[in-house]
Amino acid sequence: MFPAMPLACFLFRCVVFAACVAAPILSIADDDPFAAWRKEYETAIYPILDQACSECHRGADAEGFDLEQFGASEKLQKNATVWEEVAKRVRLNEMPPEGSPQLNDEQKALVHRWFDSRPDDNECERLANEETQAWYRGVVMSRRLTRTEYLNAIRDLVGMRVDESLQVPSDGSGGEGFDTAGDALFTSALHIEQYLAVSNQVITDALNSGGQSSLAGGLLTDIASEAEAREAINQFARRAWRRPIAGSEVDRLMTLMNASQQSGMPIREATADAFKAILVSPNFLFVVETESDAGGVQPLTPHQMATRLALFLWSSIPDETLMLAADANELATDEQIISQMHRMLADDRSRALGENFGLQWLGLSQFEGESKPDTTLFPDFDERLAEDMREEAVRTVWNVFRDDRPLMELIDADSIHANSTLASYYGLDASEQGLTQTDDSETWKRIPLSDRRRGGVITLAAVLTRSSYGHRTSPVLRGRWVLEEVLGGRVPPPPPGVPALEEAEADHAATLREQLEIHRKDPQCAACHNRMDPIGFGLENFDAIGRWRTEQDGQSIDSSGKLPSGETFSGPEELKQLLLRRSGEFKKHFVKKLYGFALGRSLNKFDKCVVDESLEALDANDQRATVILETIVTSYPFRNRYFKPANP
Amino acid sequence: MQKPIPRRRFLRGSGVLLGLPWMASMAETMAAAKPDASGSQNGDPQPPLRTAFLYFPNGVWEKDWVPESEGTDYELSPSLEPLADLKDDFLVLSGLDKKHSHGGDGHYAKTANYLTGMPVAKTTGKDISSGGISIDQLIAAKVGNQTPLPSLELGIDPVISGIDSNVGYTRLYGSHISWQSPTRPIAKAINPRVVYERLFGKRMKTSTPEAKSYQNLLDYVLEDARLVRGKLSRDDQFKMDEYLDSVREVEKRIEFATRDQSHRERYEAERDRIASGHALEIPETGTPGDFRQHIDLMLDMMVLAFQTDSTRVATFMFANDVSGRSFSFLDGVHGGHHELSHHENKEEKIAQYQLINRWHTAQFARMLRKMKAVKEGESTLLDNSMIMFGSSFSDGNRHDPDNLPLLLAGRGGGTIQPGRHIAAKGQVPVCNLYLSMAKRYGLDLERFGDSEAELTELADV
Repeated sequence: MFPAMPLACFLFRCVVFAACVAAPILSIADDDPFAAWRKEYETAIYPILDQACSECHRGADAEGFDLEQFGASEKLQKNATVWEEVAKRVRLNEMPPEGSPQLNDEQKALVHRWFDSRPDDNECERLANEETQAWYRGVVMSRRLTRTEYLNAIRDLVGMRVDESLQVPSDGSGGEGFDTAGDALFTSALHIEQYLAVSNQVITDALNSGGQSSLAGGLLTDIASEAEAREAINQFARRAWRRPIAGSEVDRLMTLMNASQQSGMPIREATADAFKAILVSPNFLFVVETESDAGGVQPLTPHQMATRLALFLWSSIPDETLMLAADANELATDEQIISQMHRMLADDRSRALGENFGLQWLGLSQFEGESKPDTTLFPDFDERLAEDMREEAVRTVWNVFRDDRPLMELIDADSIHANSTLASYYGLDASEQGLTQTDDSETWKRIPLSDRRRGGVITLAAVLTRSSYGHRTSPVLRGRWVLEEVLGGRVPPPPPGVPALEEAEADHAATLREQLEIHRKDPQCAACHNRMDPIGFGLENFDAIGRWRTEQDGQSIDSSGKLPSGETFSGPEELKQLLLRRSGEFKKHFVKKLYGFALGRSLNKFDKCVVDESLEALDANDQRATVILETIVTSYPFRNRYFKPANP
Repeated sequence: MQKPIPRRRFLRGSGVLLGLPWMASMAETMAAAKPDASGSQNGDPQPPLRTAFLYFPNGVWEKDWVPESEGTDYELSPSLEPLADLKDDFLVLSGLDKKHSHGGDGHYAKTANYLTGMPVAKTTGKDISSGGISIDQLIAAKVGNQTPLPSLELGIDPVISGIDSNVGYTRLYGSHISWQSPTRPIAKAINPRVVYERLFGKRMKTSTPEAKSYQNLLDYVLEDARLVRGKLSRDDQFKMDEYLDSVREVEKRIEFATRDQSHRERYEAERDRIASGHALEIPETGTPGDFRQHIDLMLDMMVLAFQTDSTRVATFMFANDVSGRSFSFLDGVHGGHHELSHHENKEEKIAQYQLINRWHTAQFARMLRKMKAVKEGESTLLDNSMIMFGSSFSDGNRHDPDNLPLLLAGRGGGTIQPGRHIAAKGQVPVCNLYLSMAKRYGLDLERFGDSEAELTELADV
């Protein structure tokens, strides 16, 4: 059973495919719909902006938005994303900041109306006409496997985890903030040494295991003849390299096998040497997407498509089923791809969506290493607890996809995922779910909540701990975390020269809340802190390691807040309601993150089409999270890539 | 119809004169014998020059760092007090400047170019660049073929994940100070077990069959890489070049380990004797839970690597930039490093920040004492070294890239006169120092980075 694709989605793809083969359509429209919009800007809007914004937003110190640079009417159309951000900030009353002259109601109405009346660029339809530019900008690299992908692939091929002491170097991030971005993946001699050490160890172990428990172990049993060695090598290379293996490639691996044999090794061991080479070969270590000599935009081969699917959904390589689908060219239609996708989501390997994508999105990928609460103040915090907190975060994101829940459950949910340790840490009675104190911590259950204090990513203990200092909470860091990671907002660092909480007055203020209030009197500070601090204060009922509290140092917690928009709330439950009202911002940000992770590059304006499609699909399908995955894996950029012809 | 595996094609005919590791005890015996015909440094009684660059994050509280007086009679500042017994073994260098970090954001644009001195490309991923090769790598390119490992890049933390879209930098810039080229950071080893295996493990030993089978395997994957490279898009080929170069480096190491058997075996025996004399307590997983032990282990292994002439060039990052590591184990400190470095000119925070600076100095002192205890003929290992220690900006609250907090320990094999405070006047590029260090390896350079001249004061009294 496949969910119906939204109509727009089909139309879009048809247009793109048709245009790829047909001659480019050169003109967009005869009359420029932007002309009237620009005129309105020149006559009515610019004077308002000039008067209200110029003091800060002009010239070199323009805080990211320079009226001189972006305000010229001929540039309006090109800088759509900049103006989108301006519109958002003005609408939320975040700009002009408190303490600066404000727009009057009439001005606000004019400006809002002008923002809303922006004609559509129709870039989705122009995509194919501007092929070269579009695809060159969106090029996906033939990159190295990330450390995570490498370790998962080894696990899937040899059936065991890599020993921690054989550590492969970690990766940084690029693109939309993920390690899947090829530009930010480097290879050093240390990588090669560790790949050698790992392949040597895991293949030796597989050889000695003598069982069918893993692909490598199974293939390495009962090799007595050259023909059997050849077949084993062929099969192992096919799975490790994710594609059919040419006869000449097997020949070369056999040469290696024979060299080992000649040095006195039995044939099984010699075959294992070829297996080791397969795991150090760039055909394994790199996502090699190349087939065509033609260059330009080309559809991926079925096997390349299988690899992209496996890397995206499993952070690993294709399994036999997916390989067979690729062999039979059954990853060609939307239905076939979506069907495989749902099969893969039901597999435990889809945990990677939580563990790899999820933790990177939430900024928790190094949670255990980076979060070091002051143990003198928080003796309860230890490595075991940190592991459980991390696991909760993994399962929260993973299960939204696996159980196909509404996406907004990442903001507000009526249940959480916990083991017995975490349930009691949160003060929940988990006995009804069959979790008891004596349970081992490996058992995780979905536990219904009687209130909405917990549930969703914002109130995860891991997130609350990560966005605190070692010895106290930080409403500023927490507010900033929500703004950036949930709402996709940007919070620039403090402008140079602004004293941080330096006023003598601030030193006498009793509470952090009072100190920050003094801080916000400065309009320069207010611009950002009015956005961040109230959200952070809404989470003050959680201490620096995420436990619920009602008072601190004998004073009861004040968790109320007021945003520049005038919205007020008190406590995490109301805060989440407020965020639900801004769900559009969250959904868009989340889709961009997931899509950027899938492609391994930063998004450009042409990617807006897929983002918009995903958002439409969400609305048309009760917000079910997996429709985003469906849209992404069937999207044109996911199934095609741009090739610059290789050197002769 | 199987072709023979091509043999060692990259090393043959390279014409590079490969040296051999130097051992004090061996040097003495060999100096007595007549020099070997190859004219290599076999048995050269002269100990080699070693260089390390140590980095700690988040700057220093300047007032407690920079000594008030200059010259030989200067008085140690509070943050440098842990070095009191070593005062004659190091130089305080103040007033050196990294002008290409004047723009850019607080941290990332200053750490990646700690050892390049050049502008860091503002990017969240595409076209990452540190502006130049780092000085350690330039030296390693010259002398790396004399030792089993050309250089050693060590650290404690994994690469920082994520990008900072607000300032427009990928955070990986804060995790790398060693750059093989402007566009290629070198992975640092953070697991002590991995480092130990690299230095002393059986993997790369002459006598093991592993070396032989690795050679075949590496020949094979190099051929694979060339075949793959030919099919890649032009823009992607440089990524395969990284792979090719890295495989070649590993090949060279094996080649190094398998040639000149007689010297090699004596060297390995001597090296293992020294290594086994040090009780390195490396846990099963490789990484101690307490970062203090982790740091001790890494620095101990660096000293051991120098002592056994396993390498002559090393870098070490006490932590990645912007590290929020908790220093609450220090009396009077509550909180994380980065947070406290933004002291907001509050006395209580400054006091804690200074204690953290001082703690780092103490670890440096501990390492120097170990180096000083290693005799090399008439001199010591420390005498035959240049060990730089510092951070990539000065004040943590303001992130100033001028007046870098730097110390340089060792006598550079007799070319440096330590025991002084050299205060540079008027924006002297830190690259002047790097140029001077490179010159001590006989590198024929006119300039390095944005250097203007050599820092001649290193030698002068």
